[in-house]
Amino acid sequence: MPWTAAGRTLVAAVLLFLPAPIVIVVMSSFTARGYISFPPGELSLRWYAEFLASPDWLMSLVVSLVLAALAAAFSTLIAFLGALVFTRKRFPGAAGFETLVLLPLIFPHAALGVVMLGMAGMFGWTGRFPGLLLAHVIMTVPYAWRPIVSSLRKLDLSTEEAAMSLGARPLYVFRRVTLPLLRPGLVTALLFTFIISFDEVTVSLFLVGPDVTTLPVRIFAHIQDSGSPVIAAISTVLVALTVLVVLLLDRLIGLELFVESEQRRRPA
Amino acid sequence: MTTHAGPVLEALDVEKNFGAFRAVDGVSLSVRRGEFLTLLGPSGCGKTTMLRMAAGFESPDRGTIRIEGADVTGVPPYSRQLGFVFQNLALFPHLTVGENVAFGLEVRKVARAEQARRIEDSLQLVGLAGHAARRVHELSGGQRQRVALARALVIRPAVLLLDEPLGALDLKLRRQLQLELKGLQQRTGTTFVFVTHDQEEALTMSDRIAVMNEGRIEQLDDASAIYDRPRTRFVAQFIGDTNLFDGSVAAVDGGEARIDIPALGASVAMAAPAGLLAGDRVALSVRPENLRPAADGPGLAATLHGRVAAGVYAGTHHRFRIEARGRELLLALPARPDRPPPFAPGDEVEVGWDASRATLIKAN
Amino acid sequence: MRFGRLAWLLMLPLAAVLGLFLVSLGALVWSSFAGADGVPKLDLYARFFARRDYVDVLVRTLWVAGLTTLVSLAIGYPVAWAVARHKGRRDWLLVLIILPWLVSVVVRTYGWIVILGNRGLLNAFLGWLGVVDTPLKLMFNTTGIVIGLVHVFCPFMILAILAVFLHLERSLEEASMSLGAGPWQTFRKVIWPLSLPGVISGTMIVYLMATGAIVTPLLLGGLRDRMLGTQIYQEMFQVFDFPRAATMAVILTATALAVVLPLGMLERRVSRNLKGAS
Ligand SMILES: Nc1ncnc2c1ncn2[C@@H]1O[C@H](COP(=O)(O)OP(=O)(O)O)[C@@H](O)[C@H]1O
Ligand SMILES: [Mg+2]
Repeated sequence: MPWTAAGRTLVAAVLLFLPAPIVIVVMSSFTARGYISFPPGELSLRWYAEFLASPDWLMSLVVSLVLAALAAAFSTLIAFLGALVFTRKRFPGAAGFETLVLLPLIFPHAALGVVMLGMAGMFGWTGRFPGLLLAHVIMTVPYAWRPIVSSLRKLDLSTEEAAMSLGARPLYVFRRVTLPLLRPGLVTALLFTFIISFDEVTVSLFLVGPDVTTLPVRIFAHIQDSGSPVIAAISTVLVALTVLVVLLLDRLIGLELFVESEQRRRPA
Repeated sequence: MTTHAGPVLEALDVEKNFGAFRAVDGVSLSVRRGEFLTLLGPSGCGKTTMLRMAAGFESPDRGTIRIEGADVTGVPPYSRQLGFVFQNLALFPHLTVGENVAFGLEVRKVARAEQARRIEDSLQLVGLAGHAARRVHELSGGQRQRVALARALVIRPAVLLLDEPLGALDLKLRRQLQLELKGLQQRTGTTFVFVTHDQEEALTMSDRIAVMNEGRIEQLDDASAIYDRPRTRFVAQFIGDTNLFDGSVAAVDGGEARIDIPALGASVAMAAPAGLLAGDRVALSVRPENLRPAADGPGLAATLHGRVAAGVYAGTHHRFRIEARGRELLLALPARPDRPPPFAPGDEVEVGWDASRATLIKAN
Repeated sequence: MRFGRLAWLLMLPLAAVLGLFLVSLGALVWSSFAGADGVPKLDLYARFFARRDYVDVLVRTLWVAGLTTLVSLAIGYPVAWAVARHKGRRDWLLVLIILPWLVSVVVRTYGWIVILGNRGLLNAFLGWLGVVDTPLKLMFNTTGIVIGLVHVFCPFMILAILAVFLHLERSLEEASMSLGAGPWQTFRKVIWPLSLPGVISGTMIVYLMATGAIVTPLLLGGLRDRMLGTQIYQEMFQVFDFPRAATMAVILTATALAVVLPLGMLERRVSRNLKGAS
């Protein structure tokens, strides 16, 4: 490919462009001023203090964390059980079944929000936690499905057979051979779905209510209403948690995983 | 195409480092027009790097590359008029067989009609006539090999560089393609520089062989000379099996030298190459088939007494491992039809070699 | 491990969740056709297309999503190439792409408000330079939306193309050059065609995401420059008209799929042709 100085400059610019707004939010969260500004001027932690003093904000943080943890656990478990059967049993329509699992990926999020709202309404869960959770599970299952299926496919069945030939019973084989070999896929699924759920906002907009609001949704609402730098402080907390999970993923699995999962998340 | 009288491809004192590692260490090489020259050496000795510098994919840290006498050291690969056959073939997966072969012609803006003719000719040449419309992934390993050859030959390169192109094939197909490749080279008169780590492949195909080790050329010679007259210990040991005897030159007198060999507890006389001085440390290399039992006849330059440790039948030869004076010797004797092996394990034997059958290697 | 018949039970939770999703989907489509007396009608669609402002919103959605996709491709392709061909460790480059991608859309859009607002960073800087007297209007218009959407979604494009580049054998480029093709011809005849699967799947994802965005267009575009997503949000939470929102959701999905499904088929065709590319 023709590789010129212009190309290099463009690449450098894009690589600065991507983190720039986040860096700016984080830096301006330390301002002492009463309005959002960059550069922040005199530094202070007053907006973090305000965040910690507000039960509403803290409650949203708790809701987001619990929601993400439960959604990650449920969708990983559901996807794992399903994938176990899917990869080891032949059944007609298997390809169609996989398309179905990945179906939520091909919906624009605004439309998905309306669908999920209708679903919550069917159970009387409009504006309540179970509705949010169900929607997040449906949305994150495809992200759990791919790493789990691919680690199941990579699993060499002869290792299980070897264990059995050494006298191990099925449950023991599953616990001591199968599960440890699948661990990378399961960890990827858990952390990836956690991040997606934790940061999700568009679909959640349709599902929150006066009593339950996730942190990103509350931030969204406040941006529309006010210019208070408390939003920057809270955003920074959100960024920090995301960074934490990404670092964990890098340590445990390696970041190249996202490149592959990107290819996998190609809709149907 | 301009042809000049000298070597078609030359490397002069070429060096290449990867970080602190010296992959090619001062190689000079000149390739004659129309020859089949092989770079032979163990994996990691710098063969690929050497070939890639010739093609222009890597640039040497020192030294010069010349094609048809012209310095091309800074010239990009697409302006070098060389053909390259890659270890993994690197066929374009999005193109058909015909389009793969056409690639170099299209780039050169060759007229359509001539393109069609040359593509057909070169597919014919490699035995793939009528396969132009096939897709690459529909072909067998051997067929892909031939497409890669046709694609590189159709541009009539000054030199065709081949990097272990047969490495991935099974033995039988490999043998067959070795012959085809050699035939192709002779019919087209193209200069081939071929890389392999397989000594047998090198010996069957090459006019000349450059034996490489640790980034250097140890010996560049005719295939038979490489085998019969290795110039370094490495060459003697890498090409075929051999028995090496370390020693030192006791005296040089005219054309003859006396060499003390501690392992024999004796000294042997043999023809002295020019420049050999008394006191030089040397080694004698004696191929297994150049050892023989003393009982077969007189005239041996040296003899050892030993015991047969093991024997195997290897088609045309019986091969024996003999323990003598605390070391092992390899002996190969022609197998005669309907005769049992001449020795059995445990037999005591007296073996030695005729003076003309040992090669003197100077240690350095 | 072998499973007995009971194994099918393991599939049950997944099947239940999927079934639930399908039922809700059906209910949504049904309600978009709902008439007053329970007989399916096209009323809601007819009313949508009869309204000039709605059609404008639809057109703007297509236009903004298309532009976002094109810009993402134009800047994402060289970045993917640079990352793939970077000598040495790629980790830091990947972090620069993946971290922003995983940070919540709300936070990133908020960052753009700080940068693009009337009293924002960019205008302050331009004013300080003396380039402009009155602040440039960078927000609450289509420019702002596109900048924000490109930022939010172009990592999808980069990662999709990078996935292909990472599996592209370098020897293919070298083969092309050894056959006499210069850098430009090598790009046109080898690299570009081989990268098409990544380009197509990146295009699909970015287009899909951009059509369905709410947060970024609402915060950066305001209520005047609406997209379908923001319109749906408004119908739902300001007018409380679920059937109309449902109709728009169906229209939105249809316009997205009208592009995404053909691209998906194209992508599969191209990939099949490239079989054995590695
Ligand atoms: N691009 C490179 N970067 C670092 N080391 C390399 C590179 N290419 C080759 N080497 C090293 O140089 C040595 C020679 O490699 P090569 O020429 O491929 O050997 P051969 O083809 O004889 O097996 C090897 O040790 C290899 O690891
Ligand atoms: Mg090599």
